[in-house]
Amino acid sequence: MLVTCISFFAYEFYVFRKTTTEKLSTIGKIISTNSTAALAFDDSENAKEILAALKAEPHIVAAALYNKDGELFSKYSADRRDTNFFPKKPQQDGYRYIRSHIDGFEPILQDERRLGTLYLRSDLGGMYDRFRVFGVVAILVIFLSFILAYLLSMILQKSISKPILTLSETAKVISNQKDYSVRAVKSGNDEVGGLTNAFNNMLEEIEKQNKTLSEFNKNLEQKVSDRTEQLETVNKELESFSYSISHDLRAPLRGVVGFAAILEEDYGNKLDDEGKRIISVIKNNTLKMGRLIDDLLTFSRMSRQDIMRTNIATNKMVRDVIEDLVPGDKKPAIHWDIQNLPDLKGDINAIRQVWVNLISNAVKYSATKKQPQIEIGSFKSNGQTVLYIKDNGVGFDEKYKNKLFQVFQRLHSEQDFEGTGIGLAIIKKIISKHGGHVWAEGEKDKGACFSFSLSDNENI
Amino acid sequence: MNYDSVEILLVEDNINDAELTIRELKKHHMANNLFHVKDGEEALEFIFATGRYANSRNVMSSPKVVLLDIQMPKVNGIEVLEKVKADERTRATPIVILTSSKEDPDIKTCYALGANSYIVKPVNFEGFAESIRNLGFYWLLINQPPK
Amino acid sequence: MLNPYVRKLSTARSIVIIVLLVTNLVVHAQRTPSREYQLKAIFLFNFTQFVDWPPGSFATEQSPLVIGILGENPFGSYLEETVSGEKVNEHSVIVQYYKNADEIKTCHILFINLAETKKGEQVVEALRGRNILTVSDAIDFLKGGGMVRFFTKSDKIKLQVNLEASKAANLVLSSKLLRLADLFDPSKNN
Repeated sequence: MLVTCISFFAYEFYVFRKTTTEKLSTIGKIISTNSTAALAFDDSENAKEILAALKAEPHIVAAALYNKDGELFSKYSADRRDTNFFPKKPQQDGYRYIRSHIDGFEPILQDERRLGTLYLRSDLGGMYDRFRVFGVVAILVIFLSFILAYLLSMILQKSISKPILTLSETAKVISNQKDYSVRAVKSGNDEVGGLTNAFNNMLEEIEKQNKTLSEFNKNLEQKVSDRTEQLETVNKELESFSYSISHDLRAPLRGVVGFAAILEEDYGNKLDDEGKRIISVIKNNTLKMGRLIDDLLTFSRMSRQDIMRTNIATNKMVRDVIEDLVPGDKKPAIHWDIQNLPDLKGDINAIRQVWVNLISNAVKYSATKKQPQIEIGSFKSNGQTVLYIKDNGVGFDEKYKNKLFQVFQRLHSEQDFEGTGIGLAIIKKIISKHGGHVWAEGEKDKGACFSFSLSDNENI
Repeated sequence: MNYDSVEILLVEDNINDAELTIRELKKHHMANNLFHVKDGEEALEFIFATGRYANSRNVMSSPKVVLLDIQMPKVNGIEVLEKVKADERTRATPIVILTSSKEDPDIKTCYALGANSYIVKPVNFEGFAESIRNLGFYWLLINQPPK
Repeated sequence: MLNPYVRKLSTARSIVIIVLLVTNLVVHAQRTPSREYQLKAIFLFNFTQFVDWPPGSFATEQSPLVIGILGENPFGSYLEETVSGEKVNEHSVIVQYYKNADEIKTCHILFINLAETKKGEQVVEALRGRNILTVSDAIDFLKGGGMVRFFTKSDKIKLQVNLEASKAANLVLSSKLLRLADLFDPSKNN
């Protein structure tokens, strides 16, 4: 708007100058033609009359006639006061802009003869008038344009920017509250409406997917909770199962052993050696079964139970276990080499079980030697504490090492060494639960060394 | 039998176990005044002189020791223990839990309810016999009964 | 304080100057007309630009435009100097002097300067019908049928024009000229 007005004004200024000059020139020519005779015949009165006609053009503030000698012949002034600025002699022909006026010199010719010069001075009032008019018009136009623009913007606002703003508001709300059920209100069927549609469609998709996801999640959670329930049930079942086993299985065993003993006691004198041996076999087998049951139960319990880590005074524990396991009479026979053992962090009962199994094994498998030696010690390896128990007993064949820690796997016969084959499996289970490792080295008839380390990580 | 002069009340549902126990006690002449009931219900009736023993005995004449198995049909040992220790008249009666269960929770529960002792029945006969023998000695001969 | 020798010299010199001046004046008087007649000469010439002669006035396009002076020449050489070299519509302007009307063959503007006014009227009569602009100082010139009369008013030379007479001679006087002039009204008494 402003640019247009300014360029318009500039153009008008230029045009105005041109037309003013032209007009002035025209007037000049007319006057000059009319005043030839007056000049020729030296009739200054007539000349004055002719010049006076310029009153009709209010913007011509002065005019003068000069004869061919350049002397002022007659003059005219619109405003009678200003009479002293007439040029003394006529200047070059033509029209010039001098400050706020146009000065013009028109040759007065009669048949190509120059009789004199006409001087015209015009002010720029005409231009200012025009500009004033233009200014008013421009202001009016601008004002109207503003009103129009305002009205237009109101309309546009309603049909374009408002819907768009609404849309963006909705988007903001949705993303803030994560509520995808919100829908944008559609107004109109134009491009904005199309956008709104697309937006809403997108929201629907999101909502759908969200639903699917959450359902899936729910399903998953349901499954998880179901499974957990199942697991817990199974666990409980296992527990009560073990409980039943420990009670119900043992009772008949007790019966068998007990009555076999009665048979032995009360009717032993009636039996021959074979009979007594048979009873003994019955008892032994039953006892073995009892041990199997105990071991199995221990193993199962170890698997199920969570370990509770506390500080274990290994030295004390080891000595207690030895005290329990090895009867006083056997003690002198075994040479014990027990180093100062570091404290461990672990489940007291479980670790105790480990020592029980390890030490009883060491005792058992070195009992055949004349001078059984059992060494218990520790060392650090890779920043971890390793405990070991070494015996000089019957050892084992390294070929079958991988079977050592499996359930019910034995590398020696029942006749040679009694045992259920579950002790090491239990140890391995316990150590694993502590996040540690257990391994063995052995040589046939030379002895065996069992080592284990516990994880330092308290979170396991 | 004079129900009021029962020294040992054996509450055991397993006949074999009962027989073994009685036999052992008999061997050491401690089974003279032993009474055997086969389930918890009967045990309670006996102790509280209710049911079938309603008019046959005096509640106040408690046995010197009750050997109580936990796993029993109808009314199990825990319940018996609970009831006996809850009643003022019978609370003082020494109760020895004699059971196969080595399970920790059971041990805790029994002691919490006021069991005087908790013995695990070994499968091993000799061990069992020894346990019984020791029990008998202790509760009948050494221990001072309340009253 | 001039020494006597110088004084004598300057006096002599002054006399010489005066003599020369007087001589010059006399000579000049013969050649330089009065201011009034200078202006009138210019006017005569200017008439050539404000009057249209009918087609037959010029034999050819190159024929000269003749300003004639009948009677005494009051212009000296001024008129000749004024018109010298000038051309109006391709016609060179020349001056001719006549003693009497018979001598007038081709003439476009005639300045009648006769001592006797009556004679002037006769000339005008004689030239009736011819395309000659008659100009004079005589007071009743226009009454007698003349076309343009010079008169002086407030020290200015003014014109009086007998439009009918000029029309009768088939001469068209420019309105610009007529504006300046007093128009002769035969009904009034000058």
